[in-house]
Amino acid sequence: MATTVTEPALRRIGRLERIWAEPRGVLGWLTTTDHKRIGLLYLFTSLAFFGAGGIEALLMRTQLSEPNAKVLSPETYDQLMTMHGVTMIFLFVIPMTTGAFGNYLVPLMIGARDMAFPRMNALSYWLFLASGLFMYASVFMHSAPNAGWFDYVPLALKEFNPGHNIDFYALGLIFNGIASTATAINLIVTTFKLRAPGMSMNRMPLFCFAILAVSLSLIFALPSLTIDLVFLELQRNLGFHFFDVANGGDPLLWQHLFWLFGHPEVYIIILPAFGIATSIIPTFSKRKMIAFPLVALAELLVAFIGFGVWAHHMFATGLSTITLVFFSAASMMVVIPSTIQVFAWTVTVALGRPEFKAPLLFIGAFITFFVLGGLTGIMFAAIPFDQATTDTYFVVAHFHFIIFGAAVFPILGGFFYWFPKVTGRMYHEGAAVVAFWLTALGTALTFFPMHILGLLGMPRRVYTYPSSLGWGAYNLSETIGAFILTAGLLLIVGNLVWSRFRGVTAPPDPWHGGTLEWATSSPPPPYNFPVIPVVRSAYPNWDREDREADAGRLERGELVLDEGHETSTTTVVDAVPAEVVEMPGESLWPLVVALCTGLLFVMLLTRHYAVAGIFAALTLLAVGAWHLKEPEEL
Amino acid sequence: MSAVARSEQPPLARPNGWWGMAIFVATEATLFGTIIGTYFYLRFNNLHWPPPGVPEPKLTLPLLLTGILVATSVPMQFAASAAAKGRLSAARAALLLAVVVQAGYLGMQLHLFVHDVHEFPPSGSAYSSAYFTMLGGHDLHVGLGILLNLWLLLRTSTGLTTYRMNAIRATTFYWHFINILALCVVGTQISPRA
Amino acid sequence: MRGRGLSIDAEFLQWFGLLGAALTWTVQLVVGFGVTLARCGAANAVLGVDVKAWEISLMAVGIALALLAEAAALTLLWQTRDVDYSDPPPEGRRHFFVVAAVLGNLLFIVIIVLSGTGAIVHEPCMPS
Repeated sequence: MATTVTEPALRRIGRLERIWAEPRGVLGWLTTTDHKRIGLLYLFTSLAFFGAGGIEALLMRTQLSEPNAKVLSPETYDQLMTMHGVTMIFLFVIPMTTGAFGNYLVPLMIGARDMAFPRMNALSYWLFLASGLFMYASVFMHSAPNAGWFDYVPLALKEFNPGHNIDFYALGLIFNGIASTATAINLIVTTFKLRAPGMSMNRMPLFCFAILAVSLSLIFALPSLTIDLVFLELQRNLGFHFFDVANGGDPLLWQHLFWLFGHPEVYIIILPAFGIATSIIPTFSKRKMIAFPLVALAELLVAFIGFGVWAHHMFATGLSTITLVFFSAASMMVVIPSTIQVFAWTVTVALGRPEFKAPLLFIGAFITFFVLGGLTGIMFAAIPFDQATTDTYFVVAHFHFIIFGAAVFPILGGFFYWFPKVTGRMYHEGAAVVAFWLTALGTALTFFPMHILGLLGMPRRVYTYPSSLGWGAYNLSETIGAFILTAGLLLIVGNLVWSRFRGVTAPPDPWHGGTLEWATSSPPPPYNFPVIPVVRSAYPNWDREDREADAGRLERGELVLDEGHETSTTTVVDAVPAEVVEMPGESLWPLVVALCTGLLFVMLLTRHYAVAGIFAALTLLAVGAWHLKEPEEL
Repeated sequence: MSAVARSEQPPLARPNGWWGMAIFVATEATLFGTIIGTYFYLRFNNLHWPPPGVPEPKLTLPLLLTGILVATSVPMQFAASAAAKGRLSAARAALLLAVVVQAGYLGMQLHLFVHDVHEFPPSGSAYSSAYFTMLGGHDLHVGLGILLNLWLLLRTSTGLTTYRMNAIRATTFYWHFINILALCVVGTQISPRA
Repeated sequence: MRGRGLSIDAEFLQWFGLLGAALTWTVQLVVGFGVTLARCGAANAVLGVDVKAWEISLMAVGIALALLAEAAALTLLWQTRDVDYSDPPPEGRRHFFVVAAVLGNLLFIVIIVLSGTGAIVHEPCMPS
């Protein structure tokens, strides 16, 4: 940015400030359509759910710390186990990576003023919050879902589960899925259409490729889950027959449809982590990512192949070999794009001049856990090995290494990396490093012994175990590890909260990052950039001439777009400028629509179908009212 | 400095709203792909399809009705083109024609649905469960499309803006999707007769 | 493919090279998987599915199309060999896409061969 700001430039900035200002106070937050504020709402809400999921985990680990413990009843354990999985996946990881990181960073990284559909963005958040509250209402009614996060039939059918537990699960996840679908549509259209002029696809940041892959996966995977849940509710409440053999159904139908969603889901979980890693590594290695095109397309390739491996979760169900081979083959090959990425990351660090600040430390742990977890994953591609270890703790070890070790660590690293940008303050480096080691060692201690336990034969999803099998010591170590890990996480939160109020002021670009979020102030103004940047490489913030040229454009009024609430759009592939569009500002309608939808789902849960119909009609009317306000004609 | 004037847009730059509708259609298409996949999955698992006691699906009436629905893609496309050229009355007339035919189709579909539910209820077999879920889902989407068309007629009663023109384009896209879906649904519905 | 007097549109080479093998594999998976379900389900008594014929055909067509896609990608890679991935579109963007496509297509070819072979050599409907 220019160091001296001239009169015309100041006037334009003043206009932008006035046009993009949002109401203050609570009303501002309730009606916001600013992607940064919505990102923060997602951040705090998903963190709260992370805490809930963590408490559920600690309770389970306490129960499992010794044989024949009586801390929790089996019924309570089943509910905790199910809610832990559901919370961590649907109420923490997806909202955190797409809703918080995706929403906040994508418009900044592509040089846009907001997301493509700002009001739908707000709607996604309120729907997400409502779906989370809906599901947790079940906890307060002692009817939390209790058949595992994968909810297999026939256990989930009415005959074996007559209460409301599974209805909370099914309706809650359909509800949550609407929110995620809306977010995915928004991220895709934003990535396609709102990139800065010159940011053709070969110059798009790697983080954006990851988010694009995640969003496309959500679009094509969620319908499978939704339909499965619809079938389940129809069978449970209206007597349909999808899953019972006696009437021509098949319990395996549930599993096929679930895993058709469920496997892409795990790539949805890990891809944003890849995106964060590929943002942090070039910055702290002070060089561009090696094999950039391969890394970018590997994100999309992994997601694509990931749609064809689902039945590797069903290798032990008795399906014929000629059916299963398709999935064994694809499961073996799906690891290759990820391997290419691991090589690219490590070689980039090795060839650069790495600075091991906290963000890069977390990425180092990420790579370690990812390689180890990936190795156990590839072992499952071999059908005989899978059949020996299915439903044992070996599986639990594998996916926690990946989900915790490889998905959460980059999120933590990302918190530190982007903290200065979001808050305008620096965090405390020393405390961050201590917290890193606590978290990393705690994670290793919690999840590594599970590999051994699995090979010794300890089944998963059990609320206790006998004392004669020698499993007690491992379990106790895992519980101790879990508490160490928790201490690390609490220290991270404490550091960030303290630094928010007392940290040293941060400059716009403390790390000399290459992507555009570092080209604006910390925190960014509501309009993100006074001038829409023009881009000529994949690391636009390292192109000093271009960024200095931006300042000149501000004075001349080119690409400032200060005549309304505007941003620029371009063509999809080559980012040729198309038209300037007027963006909607704050609105109460997203909140209203979310409220009506929430009430609709409550009525479906309690089987008041006529009233549900009324709320459906009200929802549609609210959507209509929302669209009465059209953007102003230019 | 104001926008690139609309007439100077690169021809391949579709508006954001069009893309939003396209991606929404992608998820709905996947949804129906899953339902139709389920139908055939269950079919492969059952020797008798339909099961004993359930009548074979009709052939002529479903095909005829589908043909009538698919034909409404013509007035819908005409409405989109007319709106793009600023010809509001022509666009509204085409929309009105389309929605009347579509509503007639839906009425007939609902009548047949209710009749079939009494003859072979979904709680009787996997066949009827799949049958009614597929047709019910399709009818819901037709209903949504009709509501969209009615909304367009309402909003354009006070004039045509770029926003409303884009809305007509997006809705037309949605209707083309519904009509392709209708062909897939009817094909599946009558497949036991093959 | 200029040398033979045949000039194929670079955009076509790019999109076919990028998406051709991926879509071919998708069809081979969906149809191939579906055929095994039909063969091993109760309805086979009336459908009489010749699973080996289906799987051989799918694999053969799949390999052929995937190889063509790879050829397209290699051709365009050769044509853009002096271009950097970060260069302005269309050359830079085309080079960027085909570098990745050339490697990605190999994956799809391997998956098609492995899964087709497995579906053919194993006894139909024997569980694992």
